[in-house]
Amino acid sequence: MTNQTPVLRIRNIKKRYGDNEVLNGVSLELNRGAIKVIIGPSGGGKSTLLHCINFLVGLDEGQVYLNGTEIIEGRKRELTAYRQKVGMIFQDFNLFDHLNALHNVMIGPVRVKKLPKSEAREKAIAELERVGLKDHMMKYPAQLSGGQKQRVSIARALAMDPEVMLLDEPTSALDPELIGEVHEVIRGLASGGMTMLLVTHEVGFASSLANEIFFMEEGKIVEQGPPQKILFNAECLRTREFCSKISRLHNNSS
Amino acid sequence: MDELLFLRQEVAPELLAGVWMSIKLIVPSAIFGFFIGIVSGVIRVYGHPVLKRLAGLYVLFFRGFPLLVQLYLWYFGLPRIGIYLSPFAAAVIGFSLCSGAYHSEYIRGALLSIKKGQLLAAYSLGFSKIRAIFSILLPQAMRRALPGNGNEFIYLIKYSSLAYMVTCIELTGKGSILANFYFKYLEIFSIVGAIYLVMVSMATWGLNYLEDRIAIPGFGRPKYN
Amino acid sequence: MLQGFTVISENLPYIMGGIWVTLTVVLGALLMGLSLGLVLSVAQVYGNRVVRRAVGVYVWFFRGIPLLVLLFLFYFGILANLQIDLSPFIVSIIVLGLISSAYQSQIIRGAILSLPEGQLKAARSIGMSDAKAIVFVILPQAIRLSIPAWTNEYTIILKDSAVTYALGVTEILARSRHVAERTYQHFWIYILAGFIFLLLTYMGTKLFQILEEKVRTPGYTQ
Repeated sequence: MTNQTPVLRIRNIKKRYGDNEVLNGVSLELNRGAIKVIIGPSGGGKSTLLHCINFLVGLDEGQVYLNGTEIIEGRKRELTAYRQKVGMIFQDFNLFDHLNALHNVMIGPVRVKKLPKSEAREKAIAELERVGLKDHMMKYPAQLSGGQKQRVSIARALAMDPEVMLLDEPTSALDPELIGEVHEVIRGLASGGMTMLLVTHEVGFASSLANEIFFMEEGKIVEQGPPQKILFNAECLRTREFCSKISRLHNNSS
Repeated sequence: MDELLFLRQEVAPELLAGVWMSIKLIVPSAIFGFFIGIVSGVIRVYGHPVLKRLAGLYVLFFRGFPLLVQLYLWYFGLPRIGIYLSPFAAAVIGFSLCSGAYHSEYIRGALLSIKKGQLLAAYSLGFSKIRAIFSILLPQAMRRALPGNGNEFIYLIKYSSLAYMVTCIELTGKGSILANFYFKYLEIFSIVGAIYLVMVSMATWGLNYLEDRIAIPGFGRPKYN
Repeated sequence: MLQGFTVISENLPYIMGGIWVTLTVVLGALLMGLSLGLVLSVAQVYGNRVVRRAVGVYVWFFRGIPLLVLLFLFYFGILANLQIDLSPFIVSIIVLGLISSAYQSQIIRGAILSLPEGQLKAARSIGMSDAKAIVFVILPQAIRLSIPAWTNEYTIILKDSAVTYALGVTEILARSRHVAERTYQHFWIYILAGFIFLLLTYMGTKLFQILEEKVRTPGYTQ
């Protein structure tokens, strides 16, 4: 695996729901340590794209490559092995409601990676500490705030030692005062060198973190480039329209 | 094969007589049970505290005692204190009272689920309590309770087979007698089972149809099963 | 009346002895219903069309035929033809268990369907195979949700167990009948039998409530 092989590469992904072309040929790649952000209007297919990369939703057309090897949906064992290496963070957290925080993080290593319980426990505690929640590890999801839940879900994904993380609007379901703690954790991951593909509305946050921004609309990547260019000096009209709207919004709040 | 077809000439009329007896048991029991259920359900929600207690005890015992024990009490127990009921009478009384207790619970639940505001609005229009209950609340409650009440009716079709245990010979009883006489247990009881399946399926279909017919758009129905 | 009381106190031990038989039948049926019901519900929720249809037919069959008819059918019909010799006791457990599995499969199925879609998604996203996801994430939650409905199922099977008297199982009602026939105190004996069932219902319900409390996930409301 040379420096030049992207960790994650997707090619020409297409997805249709009935007559609706949700994804219309999307391609991108992520090198190791890269952080790329996808922005765009609702319904543009951003969330579906992430679900497709992880094969949580079937692809109609297109290919996904991890470290140069193509991942084929049909082969169950390869698929589950692939998913271990791709961590996913959901907008509505999806913590396992019947398990406390510690067990939520432990269950993957124990049941999927087949680690011995003591080893998994140590690892889980380490990851929970990394996201700042070691003191809350015995609490159940219903007893945690939104921000805490999302941080646990990040710890859960990290416990699988992923090579790349997909984050699907990680803070959209959070009350404003809880967003900061999740952003801090994500920043920590970035400085640690994690490869990430992030879908978000938080443009200020995105621009401070991203190497590259993609603007997606109606199932296609309309434009891509470094944050400064896309946000303030875009080439396409649509991109400029969208970015001016959201920068107005964020200038008022940030 | 011939033998079997020939047997059907002998078996069919007997089983049909059994089905007829089953229907004679089920229909009155269903009707009585339903009305007993409505009355006791209304009492348990809106009645005088003493009546509420009594109705509550009724439901407790008639849902708590197994149906078979109740039937034995009516048919074998009452004679000991001087009341002699025919098998048919004992069965219908037993089914009605037992079924009524279950209907009562469904109606009660449905009445409780209706917003208080409905009753208040009725009062403000000048309705008396009783008028309000029967004209406004019950019609809504019955729609909500229909799945449960309908379910109870299905159970009644099946439990009518217990009438045989107090010597009222309905479908199951006939089947048992025939099977013993011809030594054809598997065949006869399979047919009996199939007949019950048909009755239950028809009743289920009819109830679903009824539910759809009386559904009001936007009127949330709590799901039972 | 006085006669009634002495009769009852003399025969109480014998009748109460039936409690063990009744409870064994009920528990056996409940457990059989649970294990079969779990398999059937998973098959019905996650299986292909053929499997779903098959489960549907099974459920329709065992919920549509009266218990008494099924008992006769199994004991006198099927087993006699296959020349298998099982006691009425065992047959009762099997038949009650099969019927219960049909009802329990629907209970558990309802519980599974009520879980948020995200639970399965999240399990898959950390690399769990569907089988593992079902066993470690879906079912633990679905089972907890089903406990209230089991209390109901328990009371139903408990009362249905009286019907097994028709096959000669020496449970509570059977013993009550023997005593009643001997002593002619049908009225009081059957009232006693009824009260015993009522007591067992109450105790069982309480036990299930304790169970529900014990396995409840803190703060979890649905």
